[in-house]
Amino acid sequence: MLAAFPRMGHIDILLGDLLDRLGIDYLLPPVNSEKTLVLGAKYAPEFSCLPLKLNIGNFIEALELGADTLIMAGGRGPCRFGYYAEIERRILKDAGYDFNMITIEPPSLGFFKFVGPIKKVSGKSIRKIWRALKESFPKARAFDQLEKLVLKTRCYEIKTGATTKAYKKALDVLSKISGPKEVDGYLEEALALVEGVEKNLDRSVLKVGIIGEFFILLDPFANLDIEEWLGIRNVYLERSVYVTDWIGPTANNPVGGVSDTHLAKLAENYLSHFVGGEGLASVGHTIHYANQGFDGIIHLFPFTCMPETIAKTILPSVGRDLDIPIIHFTIDEQTGKAGVATRLEAFLDLLWSRKRQNEKKRLVKSRQLV
Amino acid sequence: MGDHIKEDAFLGIDVGSVSTNLAVINVKGEVLAYIYRRTQGQPIKAVQQGLKELESELPGDISILGVGTTGSARYLSGVVVGADIVKNEITAHAVAAGHVAPEVRTVLEIGGQDSKIILLKDGIVVDFAMNSVCAAGTGSFLDHQSARLGIPIEEFGDYALKADEGAQIAGRCSVFAESDMIHKQQVGYGLEEIIYGLCQALVRNYLNNLAKGKDLLGPLVFQGGVAANSGMKRAFEAALNTEVIIPKYYNVMGAIGAALLAHESMMFEERKTNFKGFAAADFNYKTSSFSCGCCENNCEIIKIKVDDKVLARWGGRCGKWELDQANRRRDTSGVSSSV
Amino acid sequence: MKVGYPQALLYYKYFPLWERFLGGLGAEVVLSGATTKNTVSMGTIAAESELCLPVKVFYGHLLELKDKVDTIFVPRFVSVEKKSYTCPKFLGLPDMIRSINDELPPLITPKIDLDKGWREYFRTIHELGSNFSSSKRKIFSAYRAGVLALRDYHNQLQAGSTPIEFLEKKKYRKVKKTGLKIGLAGHPYNIYDTYTSMNLIKRLREMGAEVETAEMLDDNIIKREAARLPKKLFWTYEKEVVGTVFHWAHTHSVDGIIYVLSFACGPDSLIQVILEHELRSDTALPMMSLVVDEHSGEAGLITRVEAFVDMLQRKKMAQLC
Repeated sequence: MLAAFPRMGHIDILLGDLLDRLGIDYLLPPVNSEKTLVLGAKYAPEFSCLPLKLNIGNFIEALELGADTLIMAGGRGPCRFGYYAEIERRILKDAGYDFNMITIEPPSLGFFKFVGPIKKVSGKSIRKIWRALKESFPKARAFDQLEKLVLKTRCYEIKTGATTKAYKKALDVLSKISGPKEVDGYLEEALALVEGVEKNLDRSVLKVGIIGEFFILLDPFANLDIEEWLGIRNVYLERSVYVTDWIGPTANNPVGGVSDTHLAKLAENYLSHFVGGEGLASVGHTIHYANQGFDGIIHLFPFTCMPETIAKTILPSVGRDLDIPIIHFTIDEQTGKAGVATRLEAFLDLLWSRKRQNEKKRLVKSRQLV
Repeated sequence: MGDHIKEDAFLGIDVGSVSTNLAVINVKGEVLAYIYRRTQGQPIKAVQQGLKELESELPGDISILGVGTTGSARYLSGVVVGADIVKNEITAHAVAAGHVAPEVRTVLEIGGQDSKIILLKDGIVVDFAMNSVCAAGTGSFLDHQSARLGIPIEEFGDYALKADEGAQIAGRCSVFAESDMIHKQQVGYGLEEIIYGLCQALVRNYLNNLAKGKDLLGPLVFQGGVAANSGMKRAFEAALNTEVIIPKYYNVMGAIGAALLAHESMMFEERKTNFKGFAAADFNYKTSSFSCGCCENNCEIIKIKVDDKVLARWGGRCGKWELDQANRRRDTSGVSSSV
Repeated sequence: MKVGYPQALLYYKYFPLWERFLGGLGAEVVLSGATTKNTVSMGTIAAESELCLPVKVFYGHLLELKDKVDTIFVPRFVSVEKKSYTCPKFLGLPDMIRSINDELPPLITPKIDLDKGWREYFRTIHELGSNFSSSKRKIFSAYRAGVLALRDYHNQLQAGSTPIEFLEKKKYRKVKKTGLKIGLAGHPYNIYDTYTSMNLIKRLREMGAEVETAEMLDDNIIKREAARLPKKLFWTYEKEVVGTVFHWAHTHSVDGIIYVLSFACGPDSLIQVILEHELRSDTALPMMSLVVDEHSGEAGLITRVEAFVDMLQRKKMAQLC
């Protein structure tokens, strides 16, 4: 048996470590690329979202490399993602591939639906599976924490590219982690590398929150490397979702720092019910960032994504009430980097001129006080 | 020679937004004459002139026993010539393909403004799809790029066949494809590679649009105006990894299908043809349109007149004006008897 | 009090229930009327462009009602059975509506969430009724009358009537039957809205075809067929579409299937894969998918439908010969 799972940002750290611990042989399909997307778009329905298209592309690449068992997450809806494993199985079978599909359902659909498939492929006891899960999480979380720091650091770097360089070194450090006991030590070392980047903390930066659908936010190919692009243009970033927060068992979001209940409460006046996926969290996070004095919001999601389309419908009134500019990017296989860059540049210009105006107003006010 | 015995024949007319095709077949289904011309936004004129040209090309004495029209202007042209049967272009193309290649399983058809795929089994259509929304999957995609490159579309095939490999041109959309093509030119790809790359892009768009989830079995027939481009044949064969047949009358298959359907329908029901004769070319038809205004839909109703006599009206969502169409047959035959 | 009722989305499913219930409590229920070009263009302007056509149509109906009524009835349908949802757009509908720029009358937005159980549901009904009456007895007797009206409606549909004929008292012309029977699958708000579907049912009947829809079938059959999916679908209404098509595929009780879906509809894009997978074999029933959106041209639709009917007819003829 040779297993494979889809690519999404650094989720391979978590899943790879877990499969190693469970003694399951696996191969990693190539990272998401134009080729993956072309392959996926060829088979996926036109109005399915980009994540499904990339999943299909990953799986085809994996099957061509010799994988025979595909591992995919399930779900209980109402976001379509919860049914993707079933759809992908049909599409790939119809395309003539032979494989075994393992769908891991969330524990909320019944504990056995979650652990059963893992038990079946690994032959390990529930206790061992539980331990493997517990042991592989801390390492993945360390990657998230490092990423979070990088987003906040890049805007201050003196030498362009220094943060990215340090980040790469830090990733090498983190990949040395082989068990939960080593996490703290290596994480400290890795964070220190990024903190050690030469910075100009007096530099005026824009504070921008990135919100939206998890897959697009977590995968650099899917989001056109937007974070690095913004970072080197002096934008301080915070992001609404991280891999371990998304996949993790609690609603507390330890890396991101804002719990789901708090987000729902923030969003209440605008969206008073969950709508699947991150729709509610997107509205909540916009309000959270606005309250924290951020300069603007970038909303990213795949074309035809239902929860985020709902959020997009509602966010303009949030932006108006809280006086925070929001830009939306709907991403699919036709989204060109150049077009996004043009609009982002214009958005940053808008944020800068607002910031300067606000500073002027503040200055006038303080003079009047004197 | 049978000078006095007129050969029985059937006329098919296919009026699309880009081209107007006419074909005459005999009872054996052999093509006696055909015309392929541009519609140029004037469907009636195109049909009238097509009829004139066709008459001069027809061998000896023939008598038209039935007429079929098809294509997006099938109702309009049906009124103009006095059609016995008005059929949609999907059925017409399928019937024609099944006629020229009885074993055919897949018909690939790319026209100027739309494209179709038709799957057949034992000569019967079992599945089809049509794209009329996305220009990137139709002939207009290549027309557009040919204008940009300044190379006549007729020469595309020669260029494409000279390429070792096509340039990878991205984008499902004409607009994106164009910017990518410019990029590839700047990078230094040769014209041959770019033109073959465009053919491959069109094939990819076509297959993505229409063939998703379908098994394309051979024999495959490729028809429609775009089949003239040998680069397209090459691109289809490369993508599908099998031979693609281009029928002799690839660009008038719709008209042949309409003629075959006319033959079939006249055989089933014994009646006299409504055909107004090739002289229909001499009538002065006028089309106009007006807004219905009876409800909020405010549908645009199309009206066709000859000498102030209304022949037909159609276009409403509710079918109110089409009620007139029930009388159409009587109306049109009235005109032809007055000739 | 005048209560506006948009003639869109779940109107085709539940109107008799809510009309009788609200009417029984003394409210005057005002319908927005059939969808017209104007409805669609108003909805398209007001709604986010990426929303699906049915929601845009709903926006249009709402705007047509807003100045004619005191309040508009926009329930939040979260679930209509255990462990299932409706489409996410229904979950967020009242919130999306509130973000419309136009001045709107107050909305009545009861939350229907049967996953939470009947107790919770009846609490919602009571709360909804309290807007109109303080008598608990009156509220529940009005509700009971509503349930009976809904049952009567369902019986009519199963007897072969379509919601358009029943709700709008429209009559279809009798035409010569050709013996052809077509299964029409898709969301009721797509297939029964005469504007969205471009009068598809009427057109098919005029071509001599008999039309069967999910509403004419026994609920239990649909449920049983949908249960054949290896993983249960978590959207109730989509499960109905799948169950219906599976039933036809299974029994060959129709000659062909037309599946109407709307452009950019999230669930439909997946359902299409399931249906095509099911109907893949050589002996399977033919199915045609028709995508409708605010730009779809009538000509293209007619051509496809004609070709499909031709295909089925020629197939039948070939089998007879």
